[in-house]
Amino acid sequence: MSGLEAIAGAAPDKPGGPGAAGSAGMSLAGEAVSFSYEEARAPVPALCDVSFELRAGGSLALMGASGSGKSTLLQVVRGLDAPESGAVLLDGADPSDPRYTALQREVGLVFQAPERQLFASTARDDVAFGPRRLGWPDEQVTSAVATALDLVGLPPARFAERHPYALSGGEQRRLALAGVLAMRPRLLLLDEPFVSLDPGTRRQLVGILERLKAAGVTLLLATHDVDLAWALCDEILVLGEGRVAAAGPWDFSTAGGRLLAANRLREPFFVELWRRLGRDTHRAPRTAAQAAQALR
Amino acid sequence: MKATIAQYYAGDSLLHRLDPRAKLVAVSALAVALFVRDSFAGLAVYAAAAVLAYLLSGVPLVWFWRAFRPLLWLVALTFVAQVVFAPGEPFFSFGFIHLSWRGLELAAFLSLRLVVLVLVGSVLTLTTPSMALTDGLAWLGRPLRRLRVPTDELALMVTIALRFIPTLLVELDTIMRAQRARGADFRRGGLRERTRSLVPVLVPLFVLSFRRADELALAMEARCYRPGAVRTRLHPLRAGWADAALLVAAAIVIAAGLLV
Repeated sequence: MSGLEAIAGAAPDKPGGPGAAGSAGMSLAGEAVSFSYEEARAPVPALCDVSFELRAGGSLALMGASGSGKSTLLQVVRGLDAPESGAVLLDGADPSDPRYTALQREVGLVFQAPERQLFASTARDDVAFGPRRLGWPDEQVTSAVATALDLVGLPPARFAERHPYALSGGEQRRLALAGVLAMRPRLLLLDEPFVSLDPGTRRQLVGILERLKAAGVTLLLATHDVDLAWALCDEILVLGEGRVAAAGPWDFSTAGGRLLAANRLREPFFVELWRRLGRDTHRAPRTAAQAAQALR
Repeated sequence: MKATIAQYYAGDSLLHRLDPRAKLVAVSALAVALFVRDSFAGLAVYAAAAVLAYLLSGVPLVWFWRAFRPLLWLVALTFVAQVVFAPGEPFFSFGFIHLSWRGLELAAFLSLRLVVLVLVGSVLTLTTPSMALTDGLAWLGRPLRRLRVPTDELALMVTIALRFIPTLLVELDTIMRAQRARGADFRRGGLRERTRSLVPVLVPLFVLSFRRADELALAMEARCYRPGAVRTRLHPLRAGWADAALLVAAAIVIAAGLLV
């Protein structure tokens, strides 16, 4: 993909600014982050002392039962909600750092069902919304939009002038993703991106995320799909009722399995297969191709 | 997300358990009396009744304050308008502003009347779920059906509208967050810029609302909804002695207020 370097950061026209060369991925850390929702009678705690680390260019699967705080954590990381206590560190900078606001703008957040936020009358305009709000010059907006559309498999020549609501569901989802990617995030947060996609679109989306990962973008992926999480993410963060139940590398020991089950999760398919074959689960393949190679 | 429109405080006080029709009649009658009567003595009687109702409702004062806060401006405006423009012998004049004791009196009276009205109305909405309210309204509107007014359909429309206000507010919040994550800023800029910044929010909200309305209509048809058909209710309204007592008490209060 020719424009990938541009998405992944190397934007030579903005020296030292967001996406400067050599700063592809952003590191992320949570330090005892707590947050509650204001409700009519009493605040409802959503996150309690959540601490975790994600290295620059790394990928972390954010998992846990419904209502465990995954979406809340993503919104707090993006700065849409301020933590009540604790802090979110971006590239090691805490909120008191003068660079912090600029760093927050380099965090892309793809909401659940992001196609529901499409509003412009052409695909091009919708994708251009973010870059324009960042105040980029016109040529740069144009190239960012074209690159993002290409990257999500909606070539501008065919799709740029289409009305967003005239696209299929899968195309809309990818268009919404392009709207976030056009802002050249160095850290991408995704909230259940695979929900209600057909297998073909799902596969396409996995391909897009793999390419972003290869280009060095840091990924934080909230999902219920353990197989895709295992295929895409180096590490895992399990939330249970707003607290960290597990954080770090995947753990398929007996205790780790119990922990997954306690949080309404299960082992990824290939891990289970490897265990049933009596093989080392920590060397389980992440994709069917790897499995085929190992079994040949 | 705070939804303060048509709020209901779940509770089990005497007022909560009363029939919505009795409450609607009592409150409407009291509201009319409030506007007919124009003496402080009458107002005092109604204010006392309103305070008693508040105490009986068991709803925390904060909730009343929350209902009252948006109307504070209206009360303040009423007060100022009356003070400034009311007739009477001025004891202080400055330009077109003439302050008179009569004006002050009138301002205090009208503002208090508004406060009592809001208090009485809040007791009704805070102790009655919106579904019960519309059921009560539909029942009270039944005579209009002879004039071919589709009261049941209107009641259903109101019920659905009320039911979806919180849903739409959540939707609105999500869309605003998503656009903020893409750099939208709803607080900066002049009026024109702020209005324009709402386009990325309102377009998706409208599209989603229409889609939701479509789905709801289909779902209702799938469950055999027919406009004009006679519907039975899962919880039919039943009035009891307590409701009769409420109406009698309301009548006594209204009469007392008119006579003092």
